[in-house]
Amino acid sequence: MKGSRCLHQLKSLRLLSHAGRLLPPAAGDNGALFRPRSSSQLGGLQCAQREVLRHFHSSPACTKGQPARFVQEEDKTRDKSLVTHDDLFEQVAKEAKTKATFNKVIDVYTKGDIRRRGHVEFIYAALKKMPEFGVEKDLTVYNKLLDVFPKEVFVPRNFIQRMFNHYPRQQECGVQVLEQMENYGIMPNIETKVLLVQIFGEKTHPMRKYQRIMYWFPKFKHVNPFPIPEQLPEDPVDLARFSLTRMANDWDAKVTVYQLPCTDVTESGAEVTLPHIVGIQSPGQMEALAKHNPDRPVFVEGPFPLWMRKTCVYYYVLRADPTPPEEKIEEPYDPERCLSYPLQLDLDLDRDLGDDESFDVEDLDEGPVFAMCMTSQGDQATLNQWISGLQESNPILGQIPTLFRLGAGPRELQGVGDADSASRSWFPSHVQREEAHPGEEAEAVVEEAEAVVEEAEAVVEEEPRRSQVVMTLGLRSDCGGNFVDSSHRLWSFSSGVSVKKAPDEVHHHALHPCIALMQCIGKFALLTQRSPTAAIAGPGCSHTGASSRLHQMQLQWIQ
Amino acid sequence: SVSLCNTSQGCSAGFVSKVWKRDAHGYQQPLQCCDCFKDLRACFVLQAEVFPYPEIGNDELEEIKQLVAPVEKFFSDDVDSAKIDREATIPPETLQGLKDLGLFGIMIPEEYGGLGLSNTIYARLNEIIALDGSIAVTLAAHQAIGLKGILIAGNEAQKQKYLPKLASGEHIAAFCLTEPGSGSDAASIQTRATLSEDGKHYLINGSKIWISNGGMADIMTVFARTEVEVDGVKKDKISAFIVERAFGGITSGKPEDKLGIRGSNTCELSFDNVPVPVENVIGEIGGGFKIAMNILNSGRFSMGSSCAGMIKKLIELTSEYATTRKQFNKSLSEFGMIQEKFAMMALNAFVMESMAYLTSGMMDRPGIPDCSLEAAMVKVFSSEGGWICVSEALQVLGGLGYTKNYPFERFVRDCRILPIFEGTNEILRMYIALTGMQYAGKILTGKIKEMKKGNIGLAIGMVSKKLRASLGASVDLGLTGKDGVVHPSLEDSAKKLEQNVSLFGSTVESLLYRYGKTIVDEQLVLKRVADVLIHIYAMTAVLSRASRSISIGLRNHDHEVLLANTFCNDAFFKNNYWMVQLQKHSPENNDANIKKIAKQVLENRAYICSHPLERTY
Repeated sequence: MKGSRCLHQLKSLRLLSHAGRLLPPAAGDNGALFRPRSSSQLGGLQCAQREVLRHFHSSPACTKGQPARFVQEEDKTRDKSLVTHDDLFEQVAKEAKTKATFNKVIDVYTKGDIRRRGHVEFIYAALKKMPEFGVEKDLTVYNKLLDVFPKEVFVPRNFIQRMFNHYPRQQECGVQVLEQMENYGIMPNIETKVLLVQIFGEKTHPMRKYQRIMYWFPKFKHVNPFPIPEQLPEDPVDLARFSLTRMANDWDAKVTVYQLPCTDVTESGAEVTLPHIVGIQSPGQMEALAKHNPDRPVFVEGPFPLWMRKTCVYYYVLRADPTPPEEKIEEPYDPERCLSYPLQLDLDLDRDLGDDESFDVEDLDEGPVFAMCMTSQGDQATLNQWISGLQESNPILGQIPTLFRLGAGPRELQGVGDADSASRSWFPSHVQREEAHPGEEAEAVVEEAEAVVEEAEAVVEEEPRRSQVVMTLGLRSDCGGNFVDSSHRLWSFSSGVSVKKAPDEVHHHALHPCIALMQCIGKFALLTQRSPTAAIAGPGCSHTGASSRLHQMQLQWIQ
Repeated sequence: SVSLCNTSQGCSAGFVSKVWKRDAHGYQQPLQCCDCFKDLRACFVLQAEVFPYPEIGNDELEEIKQLVAPVEKFFSDDVDSAKIDREATIPPETLQGLKDLGLFGIMIPEEYGGLGLSNTIYARLNEIIALDGSIAVTLAAHQAIGLKGILIAGNEAQKQKYLPKLASGEHIAAFCLTEPGSGSDAASIQTRATLSEDGKHYLINGSKIWISNGGMADIMTVFARTEVEVDGVKKDKISAFIVERAFGGITSGKPEDKLGIRGSNTCELSFDNVPVPVENVIGEIGGGFKIAMNILNSGRFSMGSSCAGMIKKLIELTSEYATTRKQFNKSLSEFGMIQEKFAMMALNAFVMESMAYLTSGMMDRPGIPDCSLEAAMVKVFSSEGGWICVSEALQVLGGLGYTKNYPFERFVRDCRILPIFEGTNEILRMYIALTGMQYAGKILTGKIKEMKKGNIGLAIGMVSKKLRASLGASVDLGLTGKDGVVHPSLEDSAKKLEQNVSLFGSTVESLLYRYGKTIVDEQLVLKRVADVLIHIYAMTAVLSRASRSISIGLRNHDHEVLLANTFCNDAFFKNNYWMVQLQKHSPENNDANIKKIAKQVLENRAYICSHPLERTY
C-alpha cells in the first residue's frame, strides 16, 4: 500500500515538475490533472492533459516564457558546431568533467529543444560519456537521463500497440540505460520506476528490465561472503592491515606493524625513505612454526599480488616446504591423558562405509605458511627486518635457516595484455591497473576462458623457479583475496579463478577444472545479466583431486 | 503382602545368582553366553546386583536415626544460610558445630578418629547437609575429595599421621588438581615436582585454581608432574602428594566471588618451591593419574541424595504457600499447572533417592566394587533434575520467590554449580556412553566383523530379530512373571524397561556397526546413548525400590508405585524418542543441521542473521 501511495505521489510530483517546466505557470497548478494512468477514472482529464502537452509540442513558438529564450541562446551555440551530441559533451568537457557539468549538458539539451528531437541519440551519447564524467555510479544522473525521454508519448494506448513493439528504438534505448546501471551495480529506485511508467507504460521492455533488475539485485547484493568495502583505506599501512586480515581469515591472527613509513635524513645528508612493514601471524601459525624442524629451512617468498577492487597490493609469505612423511610423527595415544573419559576406545571396529562422509580428495601438501607481510619495498633488507621482528615472538626463527626467494618485485605478468582489446578489457593483468570494462557481454567469459587459460599456462611455463603463480581470469576486480586456511595452506581467491601452482606440476589437465568453473561462472553471469561478485579458487589443482575440490567448492558456494 | 515379599525377595536372589558371578578382578561377568544380545542387555541394566534393592541392617538404621536427629536440629537451629550467603563466609561457631558433630570425618574409619560410616549413611547425612550449599561444598571438598587420596591410596603411616586431625576437623583438607590450562586434560598439568639433590624432598612449583577450601586448608592433595623412568625412557607422569600448608611456600589468592555457594571458600593456590618430604607421596610416584581418577569417580554418588534432600525441603516450603495462597477464591494448589510442579518435584526426589541409595548400597557391598559408572549417572540425573526442580519451586512463588526474602533464589544460585563441578555433565555423559560402548564393543566386535564380512546367516538372523521386535514380540528378561523380581503392580513398567533395554541393545549394536571406534567423535550420538542409559538405570532403580517397598509394606508404598509407574512411563517414551533419533537418517535427528548452524555461528563468532528490519533495495 505504502509503495503504491508513494508511487502515486511521485508520479504527480514528477508530472507537476515536468509540466512546470514545459507549461506556463498558470497551467501547472492543477494537480488533479495528473493522475496515474493506471487509475480507473482516466477519462477526459487525462486526455485533456495529453492534449495540452501535444499542443505544446506542436507549437513551441507559442511559449513566451524563459525556456524559449534559453533555447534560442543554445540554438546559436549549437549552430556553430556540428550537432552531434558527443560534441556537446566534449565542449563542456573542456572546462571540467564533473557531475555538475554533466547535468548542465542534460539541462541544456532538455531545455533546448522542446520536441526533444534526437533524444535517443543524445541518451546514447550521454551513456557513453558517463564514466568520463565520473557519474557512472550516480543514480540521480541516470534518473535525470531517463527524464530526457518525453513522457506519455511512447505509452501504448491500445492492445495492438501493446502487442507489437511500440516505439522500438526508444524502448531499446530505455533498456540500454538500465543495462548500464546494472553493469555498474546501480539499483534503480522508485523514481526510476515512476519515470519508466510515465515514459513507456507498464509491461513494456524497459519496465520488464527494471523488474528483472529489482528481482535479482537484492538477491545478489550480499552473495559475496567476503565483501570488500567500496572505499578502501588510503593509508598503505591501513590497507596492508586490511588486506592481511582478510587473507589470514583468522579471528585470532594478530597484525603487527613492524615499521611505519617515514622519511629520514642520514648523516651524509641523503634522504632515506623507510618503507612500511606490516605483518600478520595467528597463534596457530606460531604453534606450527614452533614445531618446525630447525634443520629444514623456511622461505620468504614473494611478491604475490592481491587485488582489492581496482588496487593491487603485494604480499610476502614465510613458508616451509611440506614436511616429508618420514618426519610426520603422530602423537601416541596416552591413556593417562583424560581424567574423565577414555579418549579412544579399545575396539577393532572401523567406521562403516555408509557413514563415511569424508571426501576422497587427493591432497597436495603445499607446506605451511607461517606468517605474511606487506611492505612497500620488497628487498631482502626490508624483509629481513620483518623476520627479525617475527623472531621476537617466535624465538625458533633464530635457529632456522631463512632463505629469501624473492621475485623481481611488482612486475607485469605477460601473456594477457597482447590479446585483442576486448579480451584485455575482460582479463586485466595484475599490473595493468586497468579497470575492467563492464559494458561487455558476459558470454565473452565462457568463450575466451579457454584461450586465456592457455595463455596463462604459457606464462606459467616461463616461470623458472618454483613459486606461486597466480593466474587471474578476471571478470571483475571487486572480489579478490587470498587466505590461509586452518591447516595453514594458502588459498588464492581472486576475481575469477586463481590457480596457484608450481610450474613443474602444472599441465593442461590441471587447468580443466578451472575451465569448468569459468563456464559455471559465465553461465551464472548470463543468468543474472551481470558479472558475479565473487569467485572461487582452490589450492594446488592437481588432476582429479583438484577438480573434485573445485566442484565441491562450487556447490558450497552456489548453495 | 507377606507372600509377595517372599516371592520377590526369594526369586530376586535366585535371579542374581543365576545370572552373575564375579570374576577374579571383581568385575561381574555374565554367565549365560548363548546370545550376544542378552549379554548386552544384561551388561547395561543388571551390571550390578540391583534386585533386590539394597538394605541396611537394623543396627545401622538405628545408628542413622541417632545421628540424623542432632544434625537435623543443628541445621535447622544453628545454621543461618542467608547470613552465610550474604557474608560469603561460614562463621567459626558453625564450623565448630559441624566439627563437634563429627561431620568432618564421616567416612574416616573409627581407628583414625572418624565416624567410620558407610557410603549409605554418608549419603543419608548429605541429605541434610545439602540444605546449605556452602557447608555441603566445604565438607565435600574436605572429605569427598580432599582427604580421599589418603584414605584410599595412602599408606598406614600417612593415615596415622594425617587422618585423626582431619577427622576432628582440626585440619581441613583440599584437593588441588585444576590448573589455569588444565581441567580434565592431565597432559596440560604444569605444576611440577622435582626431587631435591639430597633425594629427601620434592619441590613443588606451579599454581592451581578453583580450589575449594583453598584459603583455609591445612592439608592438601596436590597433583604434579614428576619425571619417571619407564623402561629406561624418562617420561613425565602425574603424582599425588600430601602437602601441608606448614611446609611453607604456599600462597592462596583472593577468594573467588561466586554466583552461588558463596560461603564456601574457593581460591587460587600457588606453590613456590614447596618442599614435600618423599614419604608424603600418595601411592607410588607416577601413579597420580589413577588416584585422581578414583577420587573423582568415588566422590560423585552422594549428589543424588543431596539433591533429593534439597527437593524434599523445597516441597515443604512451597506446598505451604501453594495451599494457603488464594486466587479467584481458589488456592494455588487447585490449579493444574501448579499441581504439575509438585508432582514433578516429588517424582524427581523419588528417582534421585532411589538411584542414590541403590548406588551407595552397591558401593557398600564387600570388595571394592567399581560403581563409577552408576555414580556418574546419578550425578548427571540429579544435578539436572535438581536445577529444574529448584527453578520450578521458585516459580510457584512467582515474584516472591525472586526476592531475597525467601530462600529460593539462593537455592537456585547454589544449585547452578551442580552440573558444573565434580566433572561437568557433558564430560560425564561422554564417560557414561563410552564406558558402555567399550563394554558392549568387547562383546560385539566378533559378531559385527562377521556381519561386515557378509555372513548371510547372521544378517538374516538380525533382520528376523528386528522384524519380530517390530511386530511386537515381547521381550522377556525375567523381570516379571513367575520367577520375576518386580512386583506385579509394577509389571507394566517392568515390561517397558525390558522393551527399552532390548531396543537399546540393538541400537548400540547398530551404532558400533556404523561408527566402530570413531564413535568417540560422535558426541551428539553419545549424548543420547548416555541419556538412554541414565534413564534405564533410573527405571531399574525405581522398580527395584518400589518392589521392595510393596513387599515389605513400607508406609505409603502405594504412592511409590504411583511414582514409579509414572516415571517409567515417561522415561519409556523419552528413551524411545532418543533411540529413534539414534537410527540412521531418522527425521528426528537434526544432528547435521545442528553442527552446521554451530559451525557457521562459530566461524563468525556472532549471530549472523541479518536484522529482520534490514532491506536490500
